[in-house]
Amino acid sequence: MIYIVDHKDSFTHNVVHQLSLFDKVECANYDEIDNEKLNKAKTIVLSPGPGSPKDYPKTKNIYKRFKGKKKIIGICLGFQQILFAEGGQIIQQKQIYHGFQSDIKVISKNSIFKNNLILKVGRYHSLKLKEPFNAKNFDITMRCVISGSAMCVENNIDNIYGFQFHPESFLTINGNLLIKKILSA
Amino acid sequence: MKKKNYLNTLSDSNKPFIIYKSIKGFDLFTNFSEKIILNNKNIDRFLNKKYKFKNKYKSTDLLIGFFGYELLNNLIGVKIPKQKSINFPKGIFYKPETKINLKNRLIYKLNTKQKINKKFKININHNSYSKIFNNFKKKIRSGETYQIKICTKYKNKSAIDPLDFFCRLSETNLAPEAFMIKDKNFSIISCSPENLITKKGSFISTKPIAGTLRKNKKINKIKALSFFKNNIKETKEHNMIVDMERNDLSRICKPGSVKLKKEKIIEEYKDLYHYVSLIVGRLKKNIKNIDIIKAMMPGGSVIGCPKISTLNLLNHQEKENRNIYTGSFGYIKFNGDMRFNIIIRSILNFKNVSEISVASGVVIDSHAKNEFNENFIKAKALIDLFT
Repeated sequence: MIYIVDHKDSFTHNVVHQLSLFDKVECANYDEIDNEKLNKAKTIVLSPGPGSPKDYPKTKNIYKRFKGKKKIIGICLGFQQILFAEGGQIIQQKQIYHGFQSDIKVISKNSIFKNNLILKVGRYHSLKLKEPFNAKNFDITMRCVISGSAMCVENNIDNIYGFQFHPESFLTINGNLLIKKILSA
Repeated sequence: MKKKNYLNTLSDSNKPFIIYKSIKGFDLFTNFSEKIILNNKNIDRFLNKKYKFKNKYKSTDLLIGFFGYELLNNLIGVKIPKQKSINFPKGIFYKPETKINLKNRLIYKLNTKQKINKKFKININHNSYSKIFNNFKKKIRSGETYQIKICTKYKNKSAIDPLDFFCRLSETNLAPEAFMIKDKNFSIISCSPENLITKKGSFISTKPIAGTLRKNKKINKIKALSFFKNNIKETKEHNMIVDMERNDLSRICKPGSVKLKKEKIIEEYKDLYHYVSLIVGRLKKNIKNIDIIKAMMPGGSVIGCPKISTLNLLNHQEKENRNIYTGSFGYIKFNGDMRFNIIIRSILNFKNVSEISVASGVVIDSHAKNEFNENFIKAKALIDLFT
């Protein structure tokens, strides 16, 4: 079972439907976290959402509690939450991408995705990761072709994955395949 | 009674009635046997109530009316701070006993002279609009919202004949979700173009509009499409709404059933081109109408995104109650089928004061002056009726 922490976003249920193609999904609001279900879950997904990681301390606790014990996937805000919990700084960016389709590229041999692969993805983010970013076992594995900002983080030791873009958006081509690969990794 | 003079006879009788655009013409509902005024206490009961119909389903076996903006917020647990209010009902539904099909051209002869005042007062001037605009832009930079719609209100004091207004509006702006309500102490006239919910059995669809282009001689449908396709700002705004409406449908639909059936097409109206998408789905088992209304309303395309945090930002900014604006009008049939629009491009006349509310979106690359003017353009079609 996959448990989604919903940060009251207007895209979370697209994530629910996408993940439902592969496994049973439970989704609950950030204010109504169900610890029993969380404990039972095989995978935890941190949803997109408004604001910045520091606005959601409970999510940081969940991340710390289950890191290395369960697979954790973060999308957009969820991606930033993983990096924030690992000591990264999340900052405002000059160019803002909301509802924007852009090209991103796999830039690492350590990725579960094919190196140099170019993907068309949908983006909705005001904030980004401040770099350089370093944390043990974490690799930035995808970047925006134009701006170079971090688009994917992978930790294949602890099974932690994050996307700054939205694999569930209709703007992302083959989003289902991306999710499938991460769920089976 | 001849249909030809029907509207005049009806209007003279002072009976409340409702007209709603149908595919071929208009449906007129009257002879109301029940009037339900909604509030936070009775809304759940109203939406959960199961209505029975005798033997065969009749075309009047339905409740028709509207949900105001405040009621829809409260329904999904969003509170609105104390605002200036004219104490207009939060929602009203009627049970009609008569339904009449009317043709596309409404024939109505105005008998009495109306007392029309042409001057309108706006509740937010350009200066304060810019302040709100810049504040919201900061919120976009910090990620609290991605798109937000600032509402401005135009008001005037006039004793109007709503049927005359509606007939004239239908001549100039024949919109697929147009409607009017005439009751004893208020009337609503709207040329809403936007369908929020069409539900038939387990099938549901929504048809968001994001992007409007005024017609002129140089622009045809193909040129309108390339205008939108090449306009990054309009495209981004529209994309956002599509993903948000997919999300809202996904709350109540079977996984895998939510489909983007028409992606970013142009619909042509008398004066405008709209940039439209159609999203469909199959409802999950055991989903009730109350679940559908909570998932879909208030309609996202006129609020902004993400819905909850954007509603909170709006509600703390706006000093005046939105009343019907960005609420929904439509009907619930006794067999469970529904049709609801989003109440925009409307005039609310209550106690001889008319108000017209309009909004336009702030995204990261919009300009205060353009959006302020777009609000005026949207209001103008309605203001022009006051002659």
